[in-house]
Amino acid sequence: MVDEITAAPRNASMAMADLTASQLRGCMRSLLGILSLLLILMTPLAESAWAQGEEVASAIRRYREHEVSTGYYEEYEVKPRRMLPLVEIPGVRRGLFPYSPSAAKVRIRTRLADSHQSIRFYERARCEKCHIEQTRDIHTVRANLTCRQCHGGEPIASIDHYYSPMNPIRRHAYVCAKCHEGSSASFASYVVHTPNPADMDTRKSFPALFYVFWGMVSMTIGTFLFALPHAALWGVRELFIKEEKAEGETKD
Amino acid sequence: MRPKTRIRRFTPLQRLFHLCLLLSFLTQGSTGLARLYIETSWGQGLAWVFGGYETCRTIHIYVGIFLIFLFLTHILYLFSKIKWKEFPRCLFTPDSILLQPKDIKDLIQHMLWFIGRAEAPRFDRWGYWEKFDYWAVFWGISVLGITGLLLAYSLIATRIIPGWGLNIALWVHRIEAILAMVHVFTIHFFIAHLRRHNFPMDRAMFEGSVSLHHTRNEKPAWVERLEQEGKMENALVPEAGAGRRALFLLFGYCAVAIGVFLLIGGMVNSPYITW
Repeated sequence: MVDEITAAPRNASMAMADLTASQLRGCMRSLLGILSLLLILMTPLAESAWAQGEEVASAIRRYREHEVSTGYYEEYEVKPRRMLPLVEIPGVRRGLFPYSPSAAKVRIRTRLADSHQSIRFYERARCEKCHIEQTRDIHTVRANLTCRQCHGGEPIASIDHYYSPMNPIRRHAYVCAKCHEGSSASFASYVVHTPNPADMDTRKSFPALFYVFWGMVSMTIGTFLFALPHAALWGVRELFIKEEKAEGETKD
Repeated sequence: MRPKTRIRRFTPLQRLFHLCLLLSFLTQGSTGLARLYIETSWGQGLAWVFGGYETCRTIHIYVGIFLIFLFLTHILYLFSKIKWKEFPRCLFTPDSILLQPKDIKDLIQHMLWFIGRAEAPRFDRWGYWEKFDYWAVFWGISVLGITGLLLAYSLIATRIIPGWGLNIALWVHRIEAILAMVHVFTIHFFIAHLRRHNFPMDRAMFEGSVSLHHTRNEKPAWVERLEQEGKMENALVPEAGAGRRALFLLFGYCAVAIGVFLLIGGMVNSPYITW
């Protein structure tokens, strides 16, 4: 510092520059000091944070510490954390009031241990007597799967019964993975009994399929509404061209 | 030496692209329809050609991957063909395949000509229907390629999209495939084979050249431009020999026969399958 001050009369502006540079160096040094002090202070904090992340042997304690359940298993446990906004099951309504009063019958049936309990003459009925729509899909028609290969033997538990293999919390592992090895909860949200995408009911049960289907169909229809008459008229019009009547490359 | 009566239109590489596209398109159409129609005897017969229901799937996936690579190669080819020195302008010359305002004008004038209300438009190198066919393949391969990959590798795909997205992907794949096949087997075949200008077959994509006489009638602006720019001398080539022409005709009509077989079989049997 002293040297710099004595050198000042020689060239004032240069000295000023030197002064600021040395000041800057000093600032950096003190900043580094503060940072390293902070780092040392943070070391015990960090250690305790790492300890929290350790695996805890008890499953129950781990659940309490790391999981926050809403109580609705479809909303939390089923979904991998990162998939939250994407994985939804069409037709399964959620929210505060997921069911309308008129759907009470369905609600009860979808949560039973034996979904067919108290149905009269059940022993003599076949699945397709009531579930004929559910026999018209790729799994049944092309892969020749029977109902029981997925839904299990008697008593057939309701889809949403807590211990049902078909329950979305374990469907991917207990049902889908029998053939699709390695299937995930997201994979299992494929709608096996795909509704007819053209149907108006599908607008409510599977709106994405309904709108994409009709979008694609209208694009196709639009293309041909233009292209077919265009080609036909063109073909007819060319029959009436006079210039091309004289065939032969030497003519012109 | 035969007289030079034809204008060069497609390079050997471009014809190779078309040939690969043609063969893989017919393979994809046949194997795909075989699986869609497996409940009918028509579909079972079609699947038998390829070795059954499961083999159809394997072929469909690998040929699909081939098509995707063909598509990517074509995009690289496009980038190599763009004259980068005059970059934005070169996209809007008459030699460019990009859709331009003139194409809309040509389309309207062409349709007025159909009903006798206007003169025939003076087309340049690429007619609007040719441009439409070209870009339709871009759209088709993108949609079919993406949905196809999602469906073929569903376990990996459902890490990115939800599983019910596959329901949608399947329907998009189906409708787009039907759109592509019906368009090629009706419109494209009609324009390339049946209309009087090209009957019995437009050999341009196989022989690489078009008749100067016929092109003067259909694409006068292109012929005049070639003559004015003094490029006509270099562009003229002799016609292919009778043997090669017969081969082109035979090959072309084989493709038409397969296409019409798929189209009619698919239409007749469509009420008997589970969609």
